[in-house]
Amino acid sequence: MAGPEWVDEVLLRGPDAQVCLHVDGPVNRAALRRMVAERRARLEAAGLRAGGSLVLRLPPSLAFVANLLAGWRIGAQVALLDHRLTPFEVGAALDRLAPQVVVAPGAVRGNPLRAFADVEETTTPHPGRPAATPHAVIQLSSGSTGPSKVIGRTAADLIAEVDRYTRIDGVPLPGERIVVLASMVHVLGLVGALLYGLHAGVQVRPPERLTGDSVLDAVAAETSPATVLGVPFHIGLLASVAEPPRLPQLKRMTTGGELVPAATATAFLDKYGVPLGNMWGMTEVGVIATDLFGAHRPALTPAPGLAVVERAGELLVSRPESPYVGLSDPTRWSDGWLHTRDAGVVDPDTGLVTIKGRLDSQVSVGGLKVDLTEVEATLTALPGVEAAVVLHDEAITGYVQLAPGVSVDAVRAGLAERLAGYKRPRQLHVLAAMPRTTTGKLVRDRSVLRQAPRQGR
Amino acid sequence: MRTPDHPAADRGARASGPAPGRDEIVAMLAGLDGRSVRDVSESIESMELAWLLHQVEQRYGVRVELDEDQYGRMTTIDDAVDVLREAIGAA
Repeated sequence: MAGPEWVDEVLLRGPDAQVCLHVDGPVNRAALRRMVAERRARLEAAGLRAGGSLVLRLPPSLAFVANLLAGWRIGAQVALLDHRLTPFEVGAALDRLAPQVVVAPGAVRGNPLRAFADVEETTTPHPGRPAATPHAVIQLSSGSTGPSKVIGRTAADLIAEVDRYTRIDGVPLPGERIVVLASMVHVLGLVGALLYGLHAGVQVRPPERLTGDSVLDAVAAETSPATVLGVPFHIGLLASVAEPPRLPQLKRMTTGGELVPAATATAFLDKYGVPLGNMWGMTEVGVIATDLFGAHRPALTPAPGLAVVERAGELLVSRPESPYVGLSDPTRWSDGWLHTRDAGVVDPDTGLVTIKGRLDSQVSVGGLKVDLTEVEATLTALPGVEAAVVLHDEAITGYVQLAPGVSVDAVRAGLAERLAGYKRPRQLHVLAAMPRTTTGKLVRDRSVLRQAPRQGR
Repeated sequence: MRTPDHPAADRGARASGPAPGRDEIVAMLAGLDGRSVRDVSESIESMELAWLLHQVEQRYGVRVELDEDQYGRMTTIDDAVDVLREAIGAA
């Protein structure tokens, strides 16, 4: 097990003057080390110790980076909460995680289009418990049944993933740049950009804003080669820029989170003339397989050191320990194999992996995982909702039957209290009566639901 | 899947007025994931907001600078029409 020195040795080490981050200006390693030391003092003053527990509820920001590294450097366990969660969801998470210190945004300056927020954080003691497990990072997944799953990764596991990245052909090289569009609160941006970049000497640079022009400005800002890392939504931003400048520094765009249709990849290639790379990963493992040259689309090559097999149509990935905290479920992890819940095949000759879709009700909204059963259970539990079905039909769509006198606006307000915006149904259709089978079960066939009689709006 | 299927085709309609009207905004939002105009939700969530402002910048050839109050008001399509008229319509 790696001691807290891993933060210095694997991430922070390097020449003082080397620019490792670029957020509204260059941040060199000396400056980053100062920021981490300053946050470390604040966290220790709030009572955080080695083996303690910390929750970070910050948008991607320098404050997020500095507090994360400081928490790890102290030897504490750091749980990451998406800043878009509602107060209701945050309350449930804090009850569950029982951290000893919470870092949250005090003042957030600027606008929601910024890729990195300008945050002044508050650091507050919280009546919690020391870390119950040796994990360095804790993340919550959108839960399929009951409460969300708690996913833990040790420092050794994070270091192993950083090492995997260094051995994948096509990743940004030392001296190059990553223009990061994916959120650093989630695994792709966290390890694929921040931790790998700090380790390898690749400058991590969020664009000023998440618009197509701003992303291209970030690429054009320096002459060193740049890789754009994001989710498929971001391909759309770049592919719809009207007249992009010629950018010899643009080396590649790589996305994770969900499959990219071939037509989208072709449109991107036609416009920019550089490869569109593809990655498959999970919060539980990090990067699993890649196709960074777009050579095998939609197939992927397993990352070095990982094995992927197919069993009964499901893809399993090697993982020595279960990533789940307080959960023993052999249908999710057993005997060194993690069940990905992704359907797929592994080519016996080449080892290439092709994903065929989800085996459960998880969908991806802009790269964020949402379990539709969580949305449906939340909707069904609201007062005045008699029955509900939630489907993914281009976007998350809800069908509800309401008690007499209950308005759809009241239901929307209830959802807004309990679910982060990206999880909420974009369409909410009120039906006179939910279609049911002869045995009384709710019908989930979208064509039936689409045609069921509506009860006004 | 929230990847625009044919993003390049979105640029067919160039800006027709000083600021986008309701129909144009609905069409831009529909372009995000290829849903029909009829299925575009009245409310605008964060990713849709980013997509919308990006599209307005591309079609109107402007950089859309909104203040915090204006961002806070961009929650429905009608609000977006008003805010964008304030922000770029007078230019």
